This record gives sequence, C-alpha cells and structure tokens, in this order.
Amino acid sequence: MTTTLQAPAASAGPHPPTPPRASRRPAGRRGRRTRPVGGLVGSTALWIYAIGALIPLLLMVSNSFRSTSSLYSDPLGAPWPINFDSYRNAWTVGHFGEYFTNSLLVTIGAVTLSTVVSTMAAYALARCRSRIFTILESVFISGLMLPIHLAILPIFYLLDGFGLVDSRLGLMLVYAASGVPFSIFVLTVFFRQLPPELEEAAKIDGANSWVMFWRIMVPLVRPAVATVVVFRFVPIWNDFLFPLVLLRTREKYTVPVGLTTFFGEYSTDWSSLFAGLVIATLPLIVLFLLATKQIVAGLTAGMSK
Amino acid sequence: MFVAPALLLFGVFVLYPMGSALSYAFFSWQGTSRGAFVGFENFVALFTQEPFTTQLPRAFGHNIAFFVGTMLIQNTLGLGIAVLLHRRARTRRMLQTLYAMPYLVSPIVIGYLWTLLLSPTFGPVNALLRQVGLKSWALPWLGDPTTALWVVVLVSAWQWVGFPVLLYGAALGGVPEELSEAALVDGASHWQTFRSIVFPLLVPAIGTVSILTFIFAMEAFALPYALGGSTGNPAGATDFISLLFYRTAFENGSTNAIGSSSAIATLLFVVIFGGAVVATKVLRRHQVRVGA
Amino acid sequence: MTGTIRRSFTALTMASAMVALAACSPSSPSSSSGSQGDTKNVTLSVWSWRTEDVAAYTTIFAVYEKNHPGTKVDFKAFKNTEYNLILTTGLAGSGGPDVAQVRSYGQLQPSIASKSLLPLDGVVDLSSWDANVVKSAKGKVDGKLYAVPLAQQTLQMFYNKDVFAKYGLTPPTTWAEFMAINTKLKAAGVTPMAVGAKDSWTLPMLHQVLAAPRFGASAFETAVTTGKKTFTDPDWVASLDVVKQLKPFMPDSVVGVAYTDAQILFTSGKAAMFPGGSFELGFFQKQNPGLKLGVFQVPAPQGSPAMEPTTTGYADGAFGISAKSHAQAASKELVTWMATKEFGQLVADNVKQLSAVPGVSYSDPLLKEMKENYTKNPTPYLLLVDFRYGAPSGTEVLGTGVQELLMGKKTAAVVSADLQTGVSQWFKPGK
Repeated sequence: MTTTLQAPAASAGPHPPTPPRASRRPAGRRGRRTRPVGGLVGSTALWIYAIGALIPLLLMVSNSFRSTSSLYSDPLGAPWPINFDSYRNAWTVGHFGEYFTNSLLVTIGAVTLSTVVSTMAAYALARCRSRIFTILESVFISGLMLPIHLAILPIFYLLDGFGLVDSRLGLMLVYAASGVPFSIFVLTVFFRQLPPELEEAAKIDGANSWVMFWRIMVPLVRPAVATVVVFRFVPIWNDFLFPLVLLRTREKYTVPVGLTTFFGEYSTDWSSLFAGLVIATLPLIVLFLLATKQIVAGLTAGMSK
Repeated sequence: MFVAPALLLFGVFVLYPMGSALSYAFFSWQGTSRGAFVGFENFVALFTQEPFTTQLPRAFGHNIAFFVGTMLIQNTLGLGIAVLLHRRARTRRMLQTLYAMPYLVSPIVIGYLWTLLLSPTFGPVNALLRQVGLKSWALPWLGDPTTALWVVVLVSAWQWVGFPVLLYGAALGGVPEELSEAALVDGASHWQTFRSIVFPLLVPAIGTVSILTFIFAMEAFALPYALGGSTGNPAGATDFISLLFYRTAFENGSTNAIGSSSAIATLLFVVIFGGAVVATKVLRRHQVRVGA
Repeated sequence: MTGTIRRSFTALTMASAMVALAACSPSSPSSSSGSQGDTKNVTLSVWSWRTEDVAAYTTIFAVYEKNHPGTKVDFKAFKNTEYNLILTTGLAGSGGPDVAQVRSYGQLQPSIASKSLLPLDGVVDLSSWDANVVKSAKGKVDGKLYAVPLAQQTLQMFYNKDVFAKYGLTPPTTWAEFMAINTKLKAAGVTPMAVGAKDSWTLPMLHQVLAAPRFGASAFETAVTTGKKTFTDPDWVASLDVVKQLKPFMPDSVVGVAYTDAQILFTSGKAAMFPGGSFELGFFQKQNPGLKLGVFQVPAPQGSPAMEPTTTGYADGAFGISAKSHAQAASKELVTWMATKEFGQLVADNVKQLSAVPGVSYSDPLLKEMKENYTKNPTPYLLLVDFRYGAPSGTEVLGTGVQELLMGKKTAAVVSADLQTGVSQWFKPGK
C-alpha cells in the first residue's frame, strides 16, 4: 500500500533505488521519529501481555515433562523430577520420525501451490475490472463461506473417483485448493492498494505481463504473501481430520494423525500428547520467525521504493 | 491467464464438493444412500421441528455474539498491539512471534488447557482470585451459562490475536511515513495523528479483517467444541451452528442425518454469503487510496 | 494469445468436471465382489475406535492368527470423536475395513440404512445371548442382525475403600444409610461424590446410577416403549428430583466441573465416590494402582415402585462386516469367532471389559462383582437403548436438562416435559 508520492522514484527502473530523503531529514526529526508510540508504558504493557499469554502454553510444556498419572493426581504440580518418557513415547508410538517427512511434504507442497496460484489470480483480479472478473472473485471468496469440513463426504467421493484416496498428492491438492479463497481474498486487497502508475511505468520500459508481475508486484506485496503463507501453513500442519479420512496406509500419515493415537475413548494420554505437540509446534515457530522477517523486509523495501 | 490455475484447482477440489454438499440438503437420505428429491423439506424441518426450533436460533445468536465479542476484543487489541509494535523495530519480531504462539497449537489442546486453568476444583485462576481476596469473582467460568460464552470469546481472542497483529502490521507498513511525520511536526499528538491520518488509510485492512472475522465467527467449531463439548455445555450456552451440524450429522441416530445437516450447512452458507456481500459493498465504497 | 488460453482452459475445466461428475455418485453403494471361497493368505483389515486397546487387540488377534494360518488381522484404531465419519467413508468408498467395530443401538442405524453392512442372521447364532444385548446390533426397521456385540458396560457407584475405612463407613444397603454416608463425608470436608456435570453425556448415566429404581427401572422401560407411560410420569419426575436432592453432595459448581476433573478428584482421593461405568475401571487402575476400589449398587430411594437396587447395563460396540469387503468368507469366519467364548474370554482378560458373550469368567474381582450385580438386578440404560434412534436423542435432551436442573434453571417437571417433547418428534410407541 503505497502512494503516488513515490511514483517518480519508481519510474527510474524495475529495481527501486534508495530514496535520497534520508539526507533531507533534520536531526531533531530523527529523534522524534524513533520514539515509539506509548513509550515505556506501552513497552511494559506489550511484554506483560506477551508473558501472560504464554502461561497456558508454558503449562503444556511443563506438563509434558510429567507422566499422565501424575497429571491425574496433581494437575498443576511442578515437573520435578523431569520425565522424558512422554517424549520418547510420543516419538515412537506417535511414529514421529516417519510422519514428519509426510507432514513436511504435504504442507509445503500445498502451501506453495496454493500461494503461487492465488498470487497470480489475485493480481489479475485486482487489476482487471471486467464483469467476469468480479464474478470470479465472488466465486473464489464464496469458498471461504462453507467450512471445508462440512464438505468432507463429497471430497472423499471425489478423490475416490480419481483414485486419489490414500495418496499424499490427493491430500495436498485438497489442502492447496482449500487455501485459495483465503489467499486470494487477502492478496487482492493488497494488490489493489498498489497504484496503477507502476505498471504503466514498467510497460513503458518494455516489461511484459509476467516480468512485471514477478519482479515488481510480488515483492511489493511480500508482507501479505508471508502473512498468507503463515495462516495457511499452520492449519494444514495441525489438521488431522483430512489425513484420517483420506489416507489409508500408516506410512503416509502426517504428524497430527500420530498425535490422535493418544486420544482414547474415555481417557487421554495427556503427557505424551503434550510432548508430541511441543515437538510438532517447533517447526511452526521457525516458520513464523522466518515469515515475520520477510514481512519486515517487505515493509522496509516497500517504503523505500 | 493468471487466474486459470487457481480456478481449476479451486473449482475441482473445493467448488464442486461444496456444491455437492449443499445439494445434499434437497434430498432425503438413508444413511449414505441418497433417497428421493424432497425439495425444501429438510429446510422446513429446521424451522418447524425440535430440536432445531430451539437450538438453531439460539446457536445463531451465539455465533453473532461471538462475532461482536471477537471484533471488540480480539481485533481492537490486535490493532492496538500492531500500532504499538509499529515503531519498535528491534522487539517487534520477537513479540509478534510470542503473540502468535497460541495460534500454533491445536485447538483441542487449547480447550483442555483452559478448561484446566478455569476449573472450579483445580484451576489456578480461581485459586489465585481467592488468594487475592476476590472470592466472589471465583466463578465457575465454563460452568455458568452467563460467563461461558464470554470465556470462549476471550480464549479465541487469545488464540487468534496474532492474525490482526500481523495483518494490521503489514497494513501499517504501507502507510507513508511523511504524512504522520508532517502531522507530528505540526504539533499533533500520536493519537490525533492516528485518528485522522493513519486510521482512514487502514480501512481496507480493517474491512478485510472484519469480513474474515465474521466468516470465522459464523463457522467457529474447533475451539467451542474443545471448551464446551459437542452439546455446547453448559446447557447449550456455548452452542454454535457448527456444533449443531456436528450433532445432527454424527451423533443422532437419525437416518436422514445427511439431509438435515446439509440443510444447516446450506443455511449457514447463505447467511455468510449475504453478510459478506453486504460488508464488501460497504467496504468498497469507503476505500481510500491516497493520491488515487 | 489470451483467447487460445481461455479456450483451452475452458476445455480443461469442462473435461475435469465431466470426469469428476462421472466418477462420483454417492447415491447407491455398489455391491461387493467378495472372493467367496478363498480363505488362504488373506489380510483382514479391522477398524475400531479404541485407541486405548491397540496392544490388547494385537494380542487377541495373534491368537486367532495362530489358529487360522493364512489369515492375518490388521487392527487399526482411530480417534473416537471422528470415528463415525471415518467409518462412513471407509464403508462407502474404497480402501475400507473388512470388519469394523460399529456403534450400538441408534448410532448403528445409519450404517444399516446405507446398506454398508452384511446381515449376519445365518452366519452367527446368538440365541443364547441376553436379548437386550443382541438388540443393540439389530436393525430397528428390519430386525436383522448386522453385527456381533462386543462388550457390555454396567453403571454403578465406585468408592474409595481407604476413605470409607477412614470414616468407618461401609457400602449402604438402604437409602437412609446412603444419605448418612454422604452427610458424614461432606461434614468431614471430603467431596462425597465426584461428578463432572460440565460434560452433559455423563448426566443421563448419573441419573440411572442414582435413581433408576425411583422411576421403575425395567418395568418403566416396558411401559414407556409400549406407550403406556410417558416421561411426564410422576415417578420419572421424582427420579430427577432425587438427583437434584443429591446436588449438595457433589462438587461445588458441579456444572463447571469437567468429566476429567471428576476423574482426578476420585483418583487423587479427594472424593470418596464416583458414579460411573465399568469402562472406568481400567483407567482408574492404571492411573492410580494404589487406589483401593470397590463398587456398590445405590439403594432404591424412598417412594420407589420396587425397593430393589439396580445395576444399569447396555451393550457397547459390536463388530460387523463391510458389504464392500473383498474377503467376505474370511471376514465371516472372524466374526463367527467373535461370538465364541474364547474371544469373549480374551476380551475380558486383555481389554478388561465385560464381554457380551455369555459364560465368560472374570479374574478381576471388581469386574466379576459388577457382572454379578448386573445379572442379579439388571436394568437397561433406558435413553441409550431405546431413545437414541432419532433427532433429538433422548440422551442429548436429558443431558442438557439435568444441567439445567442442577443449575436451578428448570424444575424436574419441566425437564421431563422437555424430554417428552424432544423424543416424541420421532418416537412411536409399540415395540
């Protein structure tokens, strides 16, 4: 989301130069500018909420170091002596080793596919104003309006018809497709904020549609793309319903399916479950850190365009 | 064509099954065998027969209350945090990650953790309140129909606050510095700058977040299920439309389960579609593009 | 260029749409082409929702494999809450089970109506079994048998022997004694009964344990299923009042206490009694091996039509054969074996539940006691056995109703009326 104030700088070429305004900044302004909103009180409040928000998760981690029986006799006791049995159990009984690769394969594949096709589509939908495109956009967004798990039976029959039951490819395609509405919805908003002058300028320089898209527009919406990637990765990584319904051989299961073995009919092995979740959540944290880095990088690049 | 791949993928794997699922509502079913075409009979049953006549409006009301609550709490908090984080470049990523961590954990476990924390027998929340002398505040949070729904709203906000923080953060990044700086130099306070300059430019992002929140609130399933069970305990106070769907589809012994539950799903879809269309129209009209 | 792309894209979409339409027809299940005579070198896929019992069933089926060389059994357990959905897809499409654990009574009916299960009338002989148990695996509409019942559950009161000994208490034989026990425990600061009313599914069971004699137990079942009485009957209403009267002896804010919390209260010794099912036994023993458990039947409340205490029972789970199985003969053999005493005994010893097969002996003294109590004073879990065949189910309505009763929002009369309204949406008296 930038303004026409920046347009003259953009016309200098596809790679935005660093703006000369840094030198225009008077010393006094710099000091004023770097004082964040809210000052010290704001910072304190942010950290207090951050710590407080983590307490339930810390409880989970703490409980993962105790046995389930001790959880049932004293739910909030301290994890001492530390017990790694649940981690061992989660890894073996939950078949984490095998399932990790499957999860990575399916999730990365689905998110990549979904994001790539959605970015392309969002660009077109944001740019072209024809009637058909408006209708198409509504069609895509209508996909958000029915929770996908209500359509699970038809999806199963569909994949069965294609012979894609018990196939990680089928699972990946379903996940990718389910991510398209959300991704398009968010990305069109961000694409719409880009001024049309950019494209005109690039066309004057002789860039064709594809180059323009890839080299100019996409980097400008990098924060949005990173956001979309995170919000598609996490639910797909954590989903157990589709793999349970669409996969049949154990070797193809994903990590969350392994975790469901700890849910009994009348009793749950909380300790192993928590341990498994701690392991399963670590990649998500890594992803999140990477994504926020992209978001920040994208923001600064956008501003200095 | 840029749109083609997305359309193909989406059309085959989402649109077609969705259409099928909605079409199921127009038939009567014997388990998974489709029976005769019955037109709107399943829908009429939703408005004339128990349990739907009591449960459907009540669940719908809860979904709406959930939407309002989430807008007020989660999105306002998210915007506030995003604004606070905006200039704190050093700590921003760390804090963003911390705020988003509840989102990364499966809702089933979130439900269990909070049920334990809020338990009237074992929960530390009530124990703490009693210690501090606020004994009258040590309510059975998830057991009292008046508080249970708000607990769901709060836990959901806690889980999802990362979403508005990230999205608003990205949007704030697109607001040009010069405008706010100029205002600050002219003597405006941070608040005035925000209200007159930054906020109007955020309207598209606010609109996006709001529409997505509406859709999310109408479809909410995982967290309410984890906190209140499939019957929306206590006594239906946390019942949502998706829970009603779940019970109708899987827990009753009715052989027409697919027919009734598909009718509920279709109804839900129509409501969400209508709501989103209205919201988008309003949003488009108010979109402000600087210099455009 | 755009035109060609657009045209080819349209063609591709149409093609895939046509493929998809042709391939999926959820309307009629295709009949299975099972190999009839071949029982050599077959792997049978068995599905279940008992993730807790995977190890036990592996042992059990190893016995079968030894006696039936050439047959292997692949046992898979799925998460209980999603099992109904998973089974539906498994029975309707490809890659499903040969033999599947199926639900009992009402929840079995959709699978039967879809024609997903093979009728077993000529295959197994359950004539010597408890009729109530066999009922659980029959089609309500056609009366045919579709599965072999697996387990029986009984509902009674568990108690902590150490806590009772500490306060000089013994299991009650009259209602007055039962109330005295509760009063004494409460005065001593112990929670008398651990109840988790937040989870409404436990509440109709609670009602049965505490007050089944008050509404007339089995006699009432006969009356209400033939239409002679309804749930507005004064005895039924009074039985709900009994539950209300016992509220002071349940944990504080009982509607906010989760089922898991109640389990913890009992296993940690903070509560003395736990109204629950035989399915709890394995769990309690595992979580706290040091816990000295006992069971007793709650005596009949005053005013009961008959003053005998009762033990509530019901069938829980059954094994049926998928109509799409490719190994029908082998599946039939397996299922026939599941009706034998050998299998029942293995279940009793390994899964630690009461087997539906008659004549099984129990080494665990508590299981034995529960079975004996049930044999002496049986009564069915009424709302499950007879009133879960439509929407809304009796258990769902009463579960919510008892919550409202315990919160003081509705009287027993209103709750009973709600129940009657609910089930009369679909229930037609006259068995």
